[in-house]
Amino acid sequence: MKTHPLQRALFVALVIALILCCFLAPYAWIVSSSFKNQLTLFNDVTPLSWKAFFPVEGTLENYRTLFERTNVLRALLNTAIVAGGQVALTLLLCAMAAYSLTRIRFPGAKIVFVMILLTFLLPIEALMVPLYQVVSGLGLSNTLLGIMIPWIASPFGLFLLKQAFEELPVELEDAARIDGAGHVRIFFSIVLPNVKVPMLTLGLITFLFSWNSFLWPLVIVQDPAHQVIQVAIAQQGSPTQLPNWGETFAGATVATLPLILLFLLLQKYFTQGMTTSGIKG
Amino acid sequence: MADVSLKHVGKTYENASANTIEDLSLDIRSGEFVVLVGPSGCGKSTTLRMIAGLEELSDGQIWIGDRRVDELEPRERDIAMVFQNYALYPHMTVAQNMSFGLRLAGMEKVEIRRRVEAAAEVLDIGVLLDRRPRQLSGGQRQRVAMGRAMVRDPAVFLFDEPLSNLDAKLRGQMRAEIRRLHKRLKATTIYVTHDQVEAMTLADRVVVLHRGKIEQQGTPQELYERPATRFVAGFIGSPTMNFLPAEVVMSDDGVALKLDEAILPAPAAKAEGLAKRLGQPVEIGVRPEHFVVDAAPALTVTVDMAELLGPTTLVHFTFAGVACSAMLPPEHASGEGEQQKLRIAFDRISIFDPATGRAL
Repeated sequence: MKTHPLQRALFVALVIALILCCFLAPYAWIVSSSFKNQLTLFNDVTPLSWKAFFPVEGTLENYRTLFERTNVLRALLNTAIVAGGQVALTLLLCAMAAYSLTRIRFPGAKIVFVMILLTFLLPIEALMVPLYQVVSGLGLSNTLLGIMIPWIASPFGLFLLKQAFEELPVELEDAARIDGAGHVRIFFSIVLPNVKVPMLTLGLITFLFSWNSFLWPLVIVQDPAHQVIQVAIAQQGSPTQLPNWGETFAGATVATLPLILLFLLLQKYFTQGMTTSGIKG
Repeated sequence: MADVSLKHVGKTYENASANTIEDLSLDIRSGEFVVLVGPSGCGKSTTLRMIAGLEELSDGQIWIGDRRVDELEPRERDIAMVFQNYALYPHMTVAQNMSFGLRLAGMEKVEIRRRVEAAAEVLDIGVLLDRRPRQLSGGQRQRVAMGRAMVRDPAVFLFDEPLSNLDAKLRGQMRAEIRRLHKRLKATTIYVTHDQVEAMTLADRVVVLHRGKIEQQGTPQELYERPATRFVAGFIGSPTMNFLPAEVVMSDDGVALKLDEAILPAPAAKAEGLAKRLGQPVEIGVRPEHFVVDAAPALTVTVDMAELLGPTTLVHFTFAGVACSAMLPPEHASGEGEQQKLRIAFDRISIFDPATGRAL
């Protein structure tokens, strides 16, 4: 029996809606709960009611106490500085490394590339202690630079950009050499403008990684004035009291908003870059 | 304009089992249009890239005018190059593409604009100056690439298979355009192609490369009519030359060639040389148009396939165990499976030594 196109479209829409619900429900609950008080917060969870996702008697109390007790704005600014700095330095470093590994012939280039990729295999947790020793040794503990510096040489970034550079026709660089450009001019005037999408993708991924990082900032920064948003939210309650989940959810909502805005603005490049790197990689 | 001289140039790549270019010497006169032609891997593009400075030499020297240039950077050689895939900068407009080199050289803006506009007028791309390469057709991109080379006013133009990405019709138009430009600019031009039609139609002189060495050089007509080797004979000309095994014999009329069962008199001009090779095998090269229909035929063959090409018909047949083709007037061409009576225009054939491939 042949399915009517409208039926088919409805079925597809239903499946998509179900998947969306599964993904969005936890976030909707967090946002909704951030407008509830501590007493009513878990009332509609078991048994699950639609009220869990909609604050019927909404209050801004959690946001008020969050901003009073915690220096959220300072933490947001710190996070923005760390994430922005990490993006800029990662892009510069990875692009230069990937370009030289792609285009400049030197002995051992392949070994260097494989060694860099091998660092992918190490879990972040395993690196915490040696990283702490190195960064502290450099006198960078309790600084914003200390939060970002271990992650700017990203093997993922190198891999992503190396793929992009390999797809760029060598003749473009040959033409630029004949036009009179040297390596530096070719890199900045010809190569970089033609790998905008992978650069934007790497920038976004780095920003997300940096913005959401928790463990490393927790380890390397003890001074609340230099703390980033994720750690600041987790530390906003007193260790001797039960956590105030309403405030925590308000903090999570505040911390997520900039990321959502950024993603909405640049999602085209993000998905494009991820698709390309997936196919070619 | 300048002379270009390659002196004993060699190129060996790391990990390569053989030299890519071996002891190549070539003198190109100022204003000459020289085409380097040969099959893939013969070293023609490598030679061009060495002249451009995009590849280092392993041996030898390159001179442009009275300067030795093989140790100079590409920008110092006074050359311009047009690439196979155009190599236009995708993020720049046509005008920016054309002026990039001039801007790097620090030329005055007024002069840059004058040169870009002049080149755009010659190439008829004036209306495209504000567009980006992705907004252009293949032919337009090729014109822009040529414009980028022209504005530099170089001593030598280098073309690396510039038409191979275009369709057949556009290729024909662009060939004429390049020829017209060369006549107008009179610049020394070195053009690389694997397409022998381009080589024949464009060149003042064709240089055939094979396995990194010059196989033969000369005017297109010289190469077509008097190929020095079997390789050149097979490479130049389309449809390709037929090669038939034969034996030098003595007949009642003098020196002759035994072709399958037929005994045919040797060409008068070659008889003396062939007399020294009596009883030895040779290879006869016959161009498809040198099979002619004759009332008193020397050969009768069965047609395997006939292709009507318009003004001529290409008749395929097997003779002496070799697949051959003959270009005949359509009204005299037989159909598939029919008998075709032919004669070979013996005064036009080439004869090769099967062992060395050299012409006799």
